[in-house]
Amino acid sequence: MKNSKQKILIIEDEANISNLVSTVLETNGYKPLIAKNCGQGKMMFSSHIPDLVILDLGLPDEDGLNFIDYARANGNTPIIVLSARSDEHDKVEALDKGACDYVTKPFGSAEFLARVRAQLRTSNNIPADNTPLEKFVLHDLQIDFDKHTVTLNGEPVNLTVTEYNIVVLLSKYQGKVLTYTNIIKEIWGYQDGSSIKKLQVNMANIRKKLKIVPGNNKYILNELGVGYRMCDESDM
Amino acid sequence: MKKILPQLNKAFITVLIIIITVAVTTFIQTLSLSVSLIPMLFVLCVFIISLITREFVWGIIASLISTLVVNYAFTEPYYHFNFSISDNLFSAVVILTVAITTGIMTVRIKNLEEMKLESEKERLRANLLRAISHDLRTPLTTIYGSSNAISENFDNLSKEQILNLLHEINEDSESLIRMVENLLSVTKISDDNVNLRLNMTVLEELIDNVIVKFKKNFPEREIKVEIPDELISIQMDSLLITQVLLNLLENAVIHAVGMTDLMLKVTLENGKATISVEDNGCGLAESHDNKKNSTKPSDGGRNNLGIGLSLCSAIIKAHGSNLIHESRAEGGTIFKFSLNAEVLNFEEQ
Repeated sequence: MKNSKQKILIIEDEANISNLVSTVLETNGYKPLIAKNCGQGKMMFSSHIPDLVILDLGLPDEDGLNFIDYARANGNTPIIVLSARSDEHDKVEALDKGACDYVTKPFGSAEFLARVRAQLRTSNNIPADNTPLEKFVLHDLQIDFDKHTVTLNGEPVNLTVTEYNIVVLLSKYQGKVLTYTNIIKEIWGYQDGSSIKKLQVNMANIRKKLKIVPGNNKYILNELGVGYRMCDESDM
Repeated sequence: MKKILPQLNKAFITVLIIIITVAVTTFIQTLSLSVSLIPMLFVLCVFIISLITREFVWGIIASLISTLVVNYAFTEPYYHFNFSISDNLFSAVVILTVAITTGIMTVRIKNLEEMKLESEKERLRANLLRAISHDLRTPLTTIYGSSNAISENFDNLSKEQILNLLHEINEDSESLIRMVENLLSVTKISDDNVNLRLNMTVLEELIDNVIVKFKKNFPEREIKVEIPDELISIQMDSLLITQVLLNLLENAVIHAVGMTDLMLKVTLENGKATISVEDNGCGLAESHDNKKNSTKPSDGGRNNLGIGLSLCSAIIKAHGSNLIHESRAEGGTIFKFSLNAEVLNFEEQ
């Protein structure tokens, strides 16, 4: 049980935004730390060992992506990236490099906090001794890893091997946005011109079998142009 | 590579017109009509070529060829070149002069047209900026005013009053955010090399995205969705098309007075997907009809309509299609557009 507040490192050069974020975090029981640039961020990361990092991509001294490389080389701390609307490419690159999620500016505090909670929760879910989980449950969906079965409301869902692997992969990284590239490389091992289409077809099949309807998606969210994400309990 | 094609085109036209002229003049010769017609016809030929190709180069080439042809085939000594006779030299000079002056004229016309286009663009840009400044001022007034009121009168305001002001700040900020997103899209579109980020997008995923965002902005609104069962993939800039649909939906919510049903429909026919936003509200006639053209303010409220619709049209046009709006027979309005679609095989693993 964690009694002490969870530390969240904010790497953001705009003072107004970092004040806003730290106020929101503090009022919700977290301990925010602020770094104004990439260099300071790296230093504070290694000295304070935060539970989560909020990273702005448009930093003055270095590319925010460099921080992600640095953090990934030193552990699995979840990183949420703050991106401006038009940076589709940067967002995908950040996720490919190992960021877990992104929040688009401008953002409301509710949406932001939901992402923070989701990332902290999933990183806490990994047991200390790394024993693999037996089951995964989300609303009416249940995955039994031992038996390799997926049930919806108790009824078995007939997934192909590839579809099953994809669902398991998404559940393993629940709440985290997996880019097309991430998923493709994990499932097929390589990526070529037809990979994205293959993935899209598989996802469409999965959606059909899980009875997911546009606008009413309780299980797998699609981040258009970026990738897919397994819902967290707090989504919807 | 791309530059060669129009030049080949012009070369072809030049040669074609010369051949026609030669044919006509040979015909005239056989009819034994007045010989003076012949050089005149070649002058006409050079003039027409300069006009059509709109470039110096082809007019000059045509005049050189014409001079040679006239000299060779139509003046004495027939079927021989002879440049010494002053007649020949004189007609050669005349033909060349015609080519040059026509060339100068057409270049001037081209310049004038380009200037007109530029000033038209400038006028549109100025209008857009004017509309934007006006549209921005309204929500900013609330945001500035309310936040100011709260900080200056904090001790004297009741909790409820403060909350109300804060809600208004929130709403107007959201409206500003949507406006800014539209503006960003305008910059993407209004360059000469339109910057679309095309991706093969799964229709279902696009619609899902649109509805989730719509529900965030208008949580109390019901929306009906009808899409085909097939797995449809469309090449598009998904960010921009999402914005088009959100704009159309927002327009319906805000401007279609008396609307009870809002529908987002997609139909598939002949390799094209038609996406439409339908409502059963008051119809286009009742709502503002001076949307796009007027620089005067429409009446208050969320005024994204002007920029929104012209932006939507521009985005759809950039995708090679047209945004159509019609009144429905049963009352209400449809906005729709069609894009090339590919049906994916579900079995493709």
